[in-house]
Amino acid sequence: MKNSLRKFSRGTGLSAAVLGVSALVLSGCGAPPAEDSSGGGASAEAGSDYLGCIVSDSGGFDDRSFNQSSYEGLKKAETDLGIEINQAESQAETDFGPNVDQMVQAGCNLTVTVGFLLADTTKAAAETNTDANFAIVDDNSIDLPNVKPIIYDTAQAAFLAGYTAAATSETGKVATYGGINIPTVTIFMDGFAEGVAYFNEETGGDVQLLGWDKESQNGTFVGNFEDAAAGKTNTQNFINEGADIIMPVAGPVGSGTLDAVIEANAAGKDVKAIWVDSDGYETAGKGEEFILTSVMKLMGDAVEDVIRTDVEGNFDNTPYVGTLENGGVALAPFHDQEANVPADLQTKLDELKEQIISGEITVDSAASPE
Amino acid sequence: MTPQDDRPVSPATGDGAPHTRRQAKDAARQDEVRLENAVETADGELPPPAVPATAAGLGAGPAPDAPLLHRIMTGNALVAFLSVVLSLILGGLLIAVTDQNVARASSYFFSRPQDTLGAAWTAASGAYLALFQGSVINFEGDSFTRIIYPLTQTLTVATPLICAGLGVALAFRAGLFNIGAQGQILIGATFAGWIGFTLHLPAGIHLLLVILAGMVGGAVWAGLVGLLKARTGAHEVILTIMFNYIATNLVLYFLSTPAFQRPGSTNPISPQLDATALYPPLLGPAFRLHWGFVVAVLATVFVWWLLNRSTVGFELRAVGANASAARTAGVNVSKGYILAMAIAGALAGLAGVAQVSGTEKVLTSGVAASFGFDAITVALLGRSSPWGTFAAGILFGAFRAGGVAMQASTGTSIDIVLVVQSLIVLFIAAPPLVRALFRLPSPGAPRAGKGGSTTRTPASTGAAA
Amino acid sequence: MKLELIGITKRFGSLVANDSIDLVVEPGQVHSLLGENGAGKSTLMNVLYGLYDPTEGEIRVDDEPVTFKGPGDAMAAGIGMVHQHFMLVPVFTVAENVALGNETTKAGGMLNLQETRARIRQISDQYGFDVDPDAVVEDLPVGVQQRVEIIKALVRDAEVLILDEPTAVLTPKETDELLGIMAQLKADGKSIVFISHKLREVKAVSDVITVIRRGKVVGTADPGAPTTELASLMVGRSVSLTLDKQPATPGDVTFRVRDLTVQAANGQRVVDGLSFDVAQGEILAIAGVQGNGQTELTEAIMGLQDHVSGSITLGGEELVGRSVKDIIRAGVGFVPEDRSVEGLVGTFSVAENLILNRYDDAPFARGLSMSPSAIEKNADEKIAEYDVRTQSASAAAGTLSGGNQQKVVMAREFSRPLKLFIASQPTRGVDVGSIEFLHRRIVAERDGGTPVIIVSTELDEVLELADRIAVLYRGRLMGIVPGAVSRDVLGLMMAGMPADEALAQAHDVQGGNL
Repeated sequence: MKNSLRKFSRGTGLSAAVLGVSALVLSGCGAPPAEDSSGGGASAEAGSDYLGCIVSDSGGFDDRSFNQSSYEGLKKAETDLGIEINQAESQAETDFGPNVDQMVQAGCNLTVTVGFLLADTTKAAAETNTDANFAIVDDNSIDLPNVKPIIYDTAQAAFLAGYTAAATSETGKVATYGGINIPTVTIFMDGFAEGVAYFNEETGGDVQLLGWDKESQNGTFVGNFEDAAAGKTNTQNFINEGADIIMPVAGPVGSGTLDAVIEANAAGKDVKAIWVDSDGYETAGKGEEFILTSVMKLMGDAVEDVIRTDVEGNFDNTPYVGTLENGGVALAPFHDQEANVPADLQTKLDELKEQIISGEITVDSAASPE
Repeated sequence: MTPQDDRPVSPATGDGAPHTRRQAKDAARQDEVRLENAVETADGELPPPAVPATAAGLGAGPAPDAPLLHRIMTGNALVAFLSVVLSLILGGLLIAVTDQNVARASSYFFSRPQDTLGAAWTAASGAYLALFQGSVINFEGDSFTRIIYPLTQTLTVATPLICAGLGVALAFRAGLFNIGAQGQILIGATFAGWIGFTLHLPAGIHLLLVILAGMVGGAVWAGLVGLLKARTGAHEVILTIMFNYIATNLVLYFLSTPAFQRPGSTNPISPQLDATALYPPLLGPAFRLHWGFVVAVLATVFVWWLLNRSTVGFELRAVGANASAARTAGVNVSKGYILAMAIAGALAGLAGVAQVSGTEKVLTSGVAASFGFDAITVALLGRSSPWGTFAAGILFGAFRAGGVAMQASTGTSIDIVLVVQSLIVLFIAAPPLVRALFRLPSPGAPRAGKGGSTTRTPASTGAAA
Repeated sequence: MKLELIGITKRFGSLVANDSIDLVVEPGQVHSLLGENGAGKSTLMNVLYGLYDPTEGEIRVDDEPVTFKGPGDAMAAGIGMVHQHFMLVPVFTVAENVALGNETTKAGGMLNLQETRARIRQISDQYGFDVDPDAVVEDLPVGVQQRVEIIKALVRDAEVLILDEPTAVLTPKETDELLGIMAQLKADGKSIVFISHKLREVKAVSDVITVIRRGKVVGTADPGAPTTELASLMVGRSVSLTLDKQPATPGDVTFRVRDLTVQAANGQRVVDGLSFDVAQGEILAIAGVQGNGQTELTEAIMGLQDHVSGSITLGGEELVGRSVKDIIRAGVGFVPEDRSVEGLVGTFSVAENLILNRYDDAPFARGLSMSPSAIEKNADEKIAEYDVRTQSASAAAGTLSGGNQQKVVMAREFSRPLKLFIASQPTRGVDVGSIEFLHRRIVAERDGGTPVIIVSTELDEVLELADRIAVLYRGRLMGIVPGAVSRDVLGLMMAGMPADEALAQAHDVQGGNL
């Protein structure tokens, strides 16, 4: 046994070496840069001593959702404004404290913290580090001079999506479901429900909404933001129940909905999806032709905006509320579905948008920012 | 083995089974028969034995008949240490390979190999230096507080790992592979948290009650597993996995109810615990280190005492090492399983208390992070001994605390820490691999010479502390 | 085929397991390796079979030096080995087991067992093995499983067969059959290396006997040599064993078993309606072939069996239904059949094992807290009293030899006042000196007035110790006979004949002979 293991270890060592060398042979034949090139690193734009930082929540910066869009906003600020940036990804909620602390220690002028779960940590850090500024995404609980909440009245855009869905549904049934029953999710579903209800009221129609009951604040949830297979099953169930437009509010789980929609269309049904957070036509990566529209939270722009204000020295702590009015939330273009949307519906949507901005129509949700 | 129903059993040989009547008369002959009989079952142990049992057999290891899991969990300290070293080396290679500067330099490796090697060295050493600075001492700190801050961070993170690790180790010593620490932490934290933010009690009593609630929560959750195993024979691995799922979703559900939410908010996050329910800071408000660490030290002492100096521990260890011998010696094995799980759960519950009452101060669904699973690794690395687990907990605390700093200062992904931790488990689980890599002799052989001092400690005077 | 081992030395670290051993096995010869366990016989055979590399020395087959990198090489060279613990897949048939590792396939990757079946039948007929190629191995008696192992070797054209302690697992009748098979194989020109410590068998079949002690060849002996001489060679000192056992003086009957029935999990009655008494100051031996209910009987007395009906009383107190702990506390001492499984915790120290069932009694524990000093003191005393050969009281019990392990178990059980003492296979796998010692202790316990029950499958031990002998067959009592009964009677009873018939028949046979 011992002998054979020895042999084994020698064998693997050898083959690993062979592999390594062959990899080098394949890739290592390029020409070196000049010996004294002054280190090919950091082209560091002169004049910028502003450090903008970000701490993710446990979803990480590759969540295709608010962590990612916020991070992209910071990256955009890096190129546009020439600032330095630093980032810390949290693997678990227990990393929040240390990560925020690291950012403060690194001398960040402004630290963006993503998610309401970071509220306590952000508040504590802001209280002890009054000379540093903070911005927190999706939370409006902190009232400190150096913390700027960034929140979204997503229900406004979701209202338009709900109206669109109700107006274009062939079967008279539309559906939505969520990841977890939390306010940042249910605000989409509330707005969507409002839009459907408004359509019914206005036209005397009877379009049903599956998966969410605004009154009881109860509906269909996957229970996480990971299980795309569950999203697919949910969607198939909705389709079987007769729904032809489905809006998943569950981050990556939404890709399961796209799978189900693609399959349903292949089977001859006419089913569409509504994407959330970003314009799914550009980001979802599949089934674009079946995405009716998207309810967008333009977090990147907001983050960049907040940083710009701070760089310019105009930081304030009034919450940034993304609305239809300031473009923080919006309904995405119809892209391929343009043809299916009657011109008068487009007109009607513009009208509704104006009415919401003017306050003529109020979209309320238990989760809406006050 | 069907007994023959032939006619008289014929003597095997003329020599071996003499006639009964003559036997009595021939004293000398009888003596010889006695001797024969005796030698027939001989198992010649003569002082000193020519060959120890293991060397004479196929020489597999310390206890060839011991279950594999048992050997892994109570393995050699040297193997544990070398596993850490090996994992760090591989982690360093990984850092180097994924580093952008190294990638750039390797494109012209054959023209100037020293660039690649230099860049690799810079990447790996820089990352590990940051890891060290983030977990032990920060040379660049501008105040004493800042210099020793990393060490206190390490201890803070280590606190729940030690508590939960002790739970896993203790259950393991009783022969139970408890992988339910995650769920036990969550339930413990839920109990503790609820007492902490719902009741408003005077200082002292409140914290005491919070600690107690956390321990009870964990103990009940794990005790149920012990009960099910003892009563139905269900396997504890399956049970604890399922109980983890149940706990996770139960906490999510609780957090969706107003009783666990902040007034006026529907976010799944509990109110902050009352100040009276929190562990006071251990070294003043500048540090996150709290009295929970002292509790973890006390827990370690307690588990050491329990395992090595108490009758309960004696029973548990006997059940774990040889359940049928324990049963024959009058130990109630079922009770042992339930008790072992309950104590293990109480320890994991303490980890939950350390989280809600120490570092996080609120209850969320992620309050347990991955401590429950890391605790398995910690117990494994600590060879299921109380102080070994304590040391392993500190090491993993350092990895975690240092990983944060490493990520912030060198941009090395914190995932590398996870890779290193996983590699450690891999190597510990495959001791022959480590031995082969370091050309160590297999454990069967040198045992007689060294008297097994490396693997065994005198149990009667306090084993494997 | 001629097989030679020349100067074989095998070291494990600083330990020399084999010290320049020379051995020549001539064709058509039964060569016995005699030595106590741990003498280095198995190590030597593992070297020969390619499982270990020799540190020094050479193996020659027909005068050609060979090196074996593994059992495969050894097999190819014509060496076959039958291990003490069979290397068979229990759920496979005989043919599948024999083909394993040597499978031939038909078109389409189908296993071709026809050829193997034919070979098995041929070998089986040739040597009178009576083995059905299609029987599932786990259904076969141990003796037949062993033949399957031998067939495995013969199918691969083995010329030299190594049999490692082949009789340890066999009943007396199966042993006789095996010895017969060995004689046939020998007649057929095969060589056999026979490893054993049973002198009678060795003397019966060997052509040459090589005695090994502490890794060295200490001599070769003629099979005709007296048993004492062989034993002295093997043990290394002259051995004299006379058990000074006075006739029993039975006192009151304090232990009674009435209509005891034990059911196995599958509902089978493994102990079926037993009734017997044991008086103070007598030894009742329970004889029988292994697996006829002895284990379950002792376990039922100890409270270790679940489905027990009937009554067991000790001093008028009912034991059935009470916990193991209660029964131990009631004064029952128990040496279980398999000490490494039930008697000891191998990873615990000797000191801990010496208090394994008294850990929570004074002086070893006060409340929940144990007293290491008391435990250590107890260990030192017992180790001295029982002459337990161990490196220290803190050494793991699993590292001790069988005899010393058994001393630890006995020392523990005898270290408290007993009202009943039960020992299952008290000297199985125990060396000569220890057997004597342990037997004396058992008799001393009897003489002290304790009722003693000895369960043994070794007839010799039964005859040596018993004042009365009860024989079990398929869970039923065949009768209780006096301790001085003949082997023949016991043999008949063990095969299922009631005591009175057996006595009558044995008497007839003896009468006829005389």
